[in-house]
Amino acid sequence: MRVRNPQDLLAGLVLVGVALVALWAAGSLSQGRLGAVGPGMMPRATAVLVGAVGALVVLSAFVAPGPRLERWSVRGPFFVCLALVAFAVTIRWMGLLVAGPLVAVISSAASPETRIKEILVFGIAVTAFSIALFKYLLNLPIPVLVIPGVIVL
Amino acid sequence: MKKAMMVLTALAFGLASVALAAYPERPITMIVPFAAGGPTDITARIVGEHMSRTLGQQIVIENVAGAGGTTGISRAAASTADGYTIMMGHMGTHGAAPAVYPNLKYNPTKDFEPVGLAAGTPILVVTRKDFPANDLKGFVAHVKANGPKLNEAHAGVGSVSHTTCTLLHSILGVQPNRVAYRGTGPALNDLVAGQVDYMCDQIVNLTPQIQGGTIKALAIATAERSPALPNVPTTKEAGLPEFQVSAWNAIFAPRGTPKDVVARLNDALVKALDDANTRKRLLDLGGDVPDRAGRSPDALAKLVQSEVARWAKVFKQVGGAK
Amino acid sequence: MEGLVGNLTLGFATALSWQNLGLAFIGCLVGTLVGVLPGVGPIATITMLLPITFGIDPVGALIMLAGIYYGAQYGGSTTAILVNIPGEATAVVTTLDGHQMARQGRAGVALGIAALGSFFAGCVATLVIAGLAQPLTRLALLFGPAEYFSLMVMGLAFAVVLARGPILKAIGMILVGVLLSTVGTDLDTGEERLTFGYGPLADGIDFAVLAMGIFGFAEVIRNLDYQETRSVVVRAIGRILPSLADLARSAAPILRGTLVGATLGILPGNGAVLGPFASYTLEKRLARDPSRFGRGAIEGVAGPESANNAGAQTSFIPLLTLGIPPNAVMALMVGAMTIHGIVPGPMVMTKNPTLFWGMIASMWIGNLMLLVINLPLIGLWVKFLTVPYRLMYPAILVFSCIGIYSVRNAPEDVIFTAVFAIVGYALIKLGFEAAPLLLGYVLGRLMEENLRRALSIARGDLMTFVARPVSAGLLAVAVIVLVAAVVPAVRKGREEAFKEE
Repeated sequence: MRVRNPQDLLAGLVLVGVALVALWAAGSLSQGRLGAVGPGMMPRATAVLVGAVGALVVLSAFVAPGPRLERWSVRGPFFVCLALVAFAVTIRWMGLLVAGPLVAVISSAASPETRIKEILVFGIAVTAFSIALFKYLLNLPIPVLVIPGVIVL
Repeated sequence: MKKAMMVLTALAFGLASVALAAYPERPITMIVPFAAGGPTDITARIVGEHMSRTLGQQIVIENVAGAGGTTGISRAAASTADGYTIMMGHMGTHGAAPAVYPNLKYNPTKDFEPVGLAAGTPILVVTRKDFPANDLKGFVAHVKANGPKLNEAHAGVGSVSHTTCTLLHSILGVQPNRVAYRGTGPALNDLVAGQVDYMCDQIVNLTPQIQGGTIKALAIATAERSPALPNVPTTKEAGLPEFQVSAWNAIFAPRGTPKDVVARLNDALVKALDDANTRKRLLDLGGDVPDRAGRSPDALAKLVQSEVARWAKVFKQVGGAK
Repeated sequence: MEGLVGNLTLGFATALSWQNLGLAFIGCLVGTLVGVLPGVGPIATITMLLPITFGIDPVGALIMLAGIYYGAQYGGSTTAILVNIPGEATAVVTTLDGHQMARQGRAGVALGIAALGSFFAGCVATLVIAGLAQPLTRLALLFGPAEYFSLMVMGLAFAVVLARGPILKAIGMILVGVLLSTVGTDLDTGEERLTFGYGPLADGIDFAVLAMGIFGFAEVIRNLDYQETRSVVVRAIGRILPSLADLARSAAPILRGTLVGATLGILPGNGAVLGPFASYTLEKRLARDPSRFGRGAIEGVAGPESANNAGAQTSFIPLLTLGIPPNAVMALMVGAMTIHGIVPGPMVMTKNPTLFWGMIASMWIGNLMLLVINLPLIGLWVKFLTVPYRLMYPAILVFSCIGIYSVRNAPEDVIFTAVFAIVGYALIKLGFEAAPLLLGYVLGRLMEENLRRALSIARGDLMTFVARPVSAGLLAVAVIVLVAAVVPAVRKGREEAFKEE
């Protein structure tokens, strides 16, 4: 039997994997009875269904033709995620004034079209605009600049 | 050398006292561990507004909802004890929480500096319009006879409606079916629609429905009738004096907050509770404002201790929080 | 009838005061802004601006806050169309065809139809509230947990129809969405589920985090992959505004969408969220060529957007007539009213007619203002699309990070978004669609809660779902919709399999 749809094969396997993880995570939850449905019933039932669908998808990968697996790029996801993590880490300890441009600059590394000077200026401009917008116009409590022990704006 | 040390020490004291005298120098964050618009949130905003004026700095309300209020309180308890982060806790978060949540991340009696009681809201027992009893005695009889067949609505484990009805059930010795809702709104909706039989909740949420006739109020669990609902008897009058409970709200600061800061906050709180306008708004909500004696940090500390003990007993009697 | 005219006159007199007009304008403006910005939603904004309303009279305060709420609906569609990021749960459906239209250079048309459709829906909904509020409330009270469960099941059936591609994978995605919605603290017992003991997950996964990650950021990553087939503006921008032909095509969907949205919005317990899905499904079923849907069919924007706005307006009904807030935003309104000394309840209509009718009149005015604000903005948004992508995506990321952070003041949320970004990217590579997952997530939680509640009240009797007429009817619709969707797909699948043999 040839694999006619590599994409679906992987897709189905991923679904089955998700179902298995969910079933494992819901292991200790009580099932309850119909009159008092426990917290475990819904997650387990759904996980089983997900697994079933996954199995069907795997089967269909042998039956109907479909697209091949595409290449996964690394640069894009890596830098975007790094930027997000950088934001999460610096927002409370250093404030938006640092976190904002950091996100802009780090994420710009994901694109080959980036020009360093341009993104630096743009990042600071966008951050300044966001501060005016989120903090002053919308009154959201976002730390703008934090130098530990000295000031918290 | 000695002289230098003396000068430095004097300087340090001087700076410290200047720093303390200058409190507050910037806005203070008050964490409200519930969604905006609810009774605790409204109380916090009303009281906080006046306190801002006394302190000369804005009190900014930050809502951190979740897990019956314990998420917000946990976060507040762990924050820096410099007086710039305080919280509005209540009967649930600082009374019943240890009994309801086995993995609670804080200790209500140890991890906080009590500032003072703000306002409490009395609890009412209400039923759907067509409930086969028109007074508390009839209700008690009906519940004792039909316990497991009845449906009680509450706003989720750890909420005021859940905790207070647990007390009621433990007093009556009954085990009706408890139906959980995501908040008072949906619970009240189903009560009005007649899908469930009764509920225990704060007066704030219930008054308009009672006045509109969509639900029946059987009793109010305080010593005196509420001016907002003069026709509703107290539980004492109606024959169930053991059911006395009020959803008190109080301000706390994290443990280690300097005593002077706590004193200043308490002072601002007391002034707010004395202010005619603030009192009126709180009373209009049906809340009750504590008297002079009950407003000190010590009175609050005592209350927290007695509440924790009380709810521990209640929940043990009922066999856990379900 | 006389009473209605008299009341409306009172209402308009109230709403047309300079102060109230100004407040409505501010509310709508802020609301649009908030809707456009990812992450930040009307709830956060209303909460933040609540203190500012202390100095204003209650009617004015409520007019402004209400403006923020339905303004956000307009704004949420804008980002859904322009950058494929649904600002609110109700905007997810708009991304399906709205964004495709943007890719074809028809962003202006999509935005225009969304605005016009919403305005029409708003007008009709206002009339509905004015005339039918009381009887409709009685209808809403018929819905108990069993009916809501069946409604949600029906919604899930609709979600299957929404899918562009293979139905089986769409069903898989919906189920995964439902699974994700179970993460968090169990309502009944307080136990933590599927959280792996990790604290910040105790309250579940926030919608904004999921949507931003799987839709927004995954899209950004995907665009960085392909320089050529960039998602934003492939062809030159054509018309800025809808043509007569577009309007003609959209007329019927707008009417139907309004009807559907207005009806569902009345149901307390967030019935309004179903409006756009129901409308989309309806349009796809009624269209002569359903394959156009998901590829830029204007009906797929006109209908859902009207449903969206109609639902947002009629969701005020349970609040104004019963005093019971149907969703979190309305709960805030209750809070706002209470702070101002007005206690919302069954008697507001009679005890406080200025408030009731003033709000209704102001809603209509607000809709007009939103149209006036949004139509000229379309030109601006379309220009925005011409910014080079290497600058646009960092800007999107910065705004989104701030928006996500502001939801719970939790940096962990931003990290979750990063995780979901990778997940979203994987989904794209594996040929899955993200929209059904989001829909499953939104409906899953509501469905489970109501299932357990209904079974609790019925003491475990499964027949309760079929014994109650309304519930049975909704389930029947769900079954029909599912069968109608699945059967042709199975048949086609068989043909393909046999063809290869």
